[in-house]
Amino acid sequence: MSALLEATGLRFAYGRRPVLDEVSLALGPGELVGVIGPNGAGKTTLVRLLAGVLAPAGGSVRLADRPLSAYRRRELARRLAVVPQDAHLEFPFTALEVVLMGRAAHLPPLGFPRARDLTVARAAMQRLEVAHLEDRPLDRVSGGERQRVLLARALAQEPEVLLLDEPTTHLDLRHQAGIHDVLGELSRSRGTAVLSVLHDLNLAAMYCDRLILLAAGRVLRVGTPSQVLTAEALGDAYRTQVYVGPNDATGSLVVLPLVRRRG
Amino acid sequence: MKTSRMRRPALLVALPLLAACGGRPPPPATTPPARVVSLAPSITEIVYALGAGDRLVGVCAQCDYPAAAARLPRVGGYLVPSVEAVVAARPDVVLVVPSPGNRDAVRAVEQAGVRVVVVQDRTLADLWASMRAVGAALGLADVGERLVADVQRRLEAVRERVAGLPPRRVLLVVGHTPLVVAGHGTLQDELVSAAGGVNVAGDTGGVWPQISLELVVARAPEVIVDAAMGTEEGRHDLFAGLATVPAVRDGRVVAFAGEAIFRAGPRVPDAARALAAAIHPEAFGAG
Amino acid sequence: MTLRPPYLTARRLAATTAVLAALLVLSIAGAMLVGPVAASLRRALVDPGSADHVILFRTRLPRVLLGAVVGGSLGASGAALQALLANPLACPHLLGISGGAAVGGVLALIAGAEAISAVAPLAAFAGALVAIGVVYLAARAGGRSTPYALLLVGVVFNVLASAAIMLINAIASYSQAHGVLFWLMGSLSGQSWGLIAAAAAYALAGLAWLAAHAQDLNLLAAGEEGAAELGVDVERARRAVFVAASLLVGAAVSVSGMISFVGLIVPHLIRLVLGADHRLLLPASFLGGAAFLVWADALARTALAPAELPVGVVTALLGGPFFLFLLRRELGRGTS
Repeated sequence: MSALLEATGLRFAYGRRPVLDEVSLALGPGELVGVIGPNGAGKTTLVRLLAGVLAPAGGSVRLADRPLSAYRRRELARRLAVVPQDAHLEFPFTALEVVLMGRAAHLPPLGFPRARDLTVARAAMQRLEVAHLEDRPLDRVSGGERQRVLLARALAQEPEVLLLDEPTTHLDLRHQAGIHDVLGELSRSRGTAVLSVLHDLNLAAMYCDRLILLAAGRVLRVGTPSQVLTAEALGDAYRTQVYVGPNDATGSLVVLPLVRRRG
Repeated sequence: MKTSRMRRPALLVALPLLAACGGRPPPPATTPPARVVSLAPSITEIVYALGAGDRLVGVCAQCDYPAAAARLPRVGGYLVPSVEAVVAARPDVVLVVPSPGNRDAVRAVEQAGVRVVVVQDRTLADLWASMRAVGAALGLADVGERLVADVQRRLEAVRERVAGLPPRRVLLVVGHTPLVVAGHGTLQDELVSAAGGVNVAGDTGGVWPQISLELVVARAPEVIVDAAMGTEEGRHDLFAGLATVPAVRDGRVVAFAGEAIFRAGPRVPDAARALAAAIHPEAFGAG
Repeated sequence: MTLRPPYLTARRLAATTAVLAALLVLSIAGAMLVGPVAASLRRALVDPGSADHVILFRTRLPRVLLGAVVGGSLGASGAALQALLANPLACPHLLGISGGAAVGGVLALIAGAEAISAVAPLAAFAGALVAIGVVYLAARAGGRSTPYALLLVGVVFNVLASAAIMLINAIASYSQAHGVLFWLMGSLSGQSWGLIAAAAAYALAGLAWLAAHAQDLNLLAAGEEGAAELGVDVERARRAVFVAASLLVGAAVSVSGMISFVGLIVPHLIRLVLGADHRLLLPASFLGGAAFLVWADALARTALAPAELPVGVVTALLGGPFFLFLLRRELGRGTS
């Protein structure tokens, strides 16, 4: 399986503060890859570099074997979609209008949505259980609903590559599982290449084909969940003691931080 | 005095200022002051008319008449005088007209121990009072009286010239955009009356009201005295389309370039005469 | 929640624009009959030589039409700036952009340009561009402008612009000082038909240019990064909106001085009723801004009859409290 999205030797710094150092990864179609690591490891920066909204100080990102810089933004938006951590939308666009924005790259500049665009958008909203919010202005929905609307927007782009930055922050358990089901389905049945920054290691263990452990701007480990989620590697990255054990209920792993007991 | 026009932008602020600034009697002088600073062009003209121009050691930047005044040292502007420059000139007395900006500066000068004499310039009554007050402050009270009598006589001569003629409806314009005219209670309003005119904007309720063009049409002045100048030159066609206004129809829109109409000083009769010539040209030998 | 459909169709755009245009025409006709002087329309139409005709067609009509052009320019540019800066509190006046345009215009006048020539409007245009550039650069904090940063920068820039104008006022000659009033308080009166036509052409060009980027503005309203991810060429769109908004503000200020708050109030009210899609919001803000200023000017010339208020005072009195109300809502909102 050749890589659809490939990053080689990425380096980035905010001013003089180095954030990423020689990060390389490859993402193939149909893969669901999770990026995990402590706060400040550079995960969000990595997503922004992969999306092409930031230019790396060193290294390159290639989509379908072309450098990102060779793509015009419209073209890129038809193939690659990003779900940000949050979007403070201060204007009263309705949820449907926001999801339809995902179709913008498929429409001519002043084009109005056609029947197909509406179908795709509504289907995406249906998938993410926000269809009932269609005519609700986005400044009147909860954080979790907004997150799902943003994901629906990304789905509406019908991308080949989907990048997500902590898509489950505001979601309750049910929706967290639901999102991951959607992502899993996307990657398996539509062959979408999905890369998601996650902070819930248990969900990462359950759903991801591969994991990338990022700490202090470097890739500590890459591999299957069982390869990456070891007490040693995680303890190293998160700098705390971690328990990793088998999860009999799901067949994957369970990861817990070890709480220091009193006494 | 053109200073009246300067007051327009801050009228609402200036009114309480004027109330506060006016009416304080000058402390009596023992010997006639030898070093005098004038912070208004009208006062400068009065000082020269009193024959005391040689005592001036500092004037405001806008003081340009008579010609000798233009060569005197500057101590800041009429709106914003420079306290340091005034005090550095070591004056025995500073003569001031309240302006929208000079209140704090004047107070600072007073607190520096300098004697300040404040006069008003809004009406003809103010003019006579200010000539007398400046005269008294310079130890030239009798000269001041004579100046008042002389100016009054010259003004009266203008009144007599137009005495028998029916008064004409006049609009005195000081600004084009926005359209600002002289209202009731201004020196200019009184000069218009003296010149045989009736101010059609006299009832608008303000001293320098901003009015709309349609009011000009409604009031139908027979003469428009246009004292808006400088960069306003390009707007000379402001009234051109108002064909029903007698002043426009009969070609009686008169441009006024002189400063004298705005200065409450000894040239007021000249301003009145020029106004009268514009309002009643037949009485002055012109068409 | 709202009465309107959840997304914009071409048909709804056309219908709504037509209704707003009709309302504008009615406003123009209605405002023409309002003023400190009573004038009979019938007599004006019957007798072209009458004072009524002169009043209605030579003093009121140009003024009302100019009000429509200026109000439309300010409304549309306000909507565009709010999207560009991803902030519903943006407004040409509040951001000091009008101030920048006024400084440009005043400088041109001081330098000796005549008010009717093309120099003053062009200088005002340049001033608006400079101001927009400064405000934009200064208010960007990490890619998005927060309300606080924007407000602060705008306040500071406005103060600077006012100070600059006052400084120019202080050093200029007496005769130029009166002209500064025009810039500071605004006036729709006394302009020639030629100038009104030129301003209208400027305004329509600017509006068309903005409208061509309406979809970009929709996406930019969610922040520049999000817009890039959805396919917008952010650099190009930003430049185009800058120039178009400056064109509109520069034209407006150069013919009528600084008139405040139109670009803030009108897009907001339109958004409340018609939604945030800029394909509709832009023309609607233009038409709504036009009607708003036409009525504000009608109020300005009748409230203190026979004297008149500067139109900028009326819009400030209407807009100031509205802005405070908006600010309270925005700050109280936080993140949900």
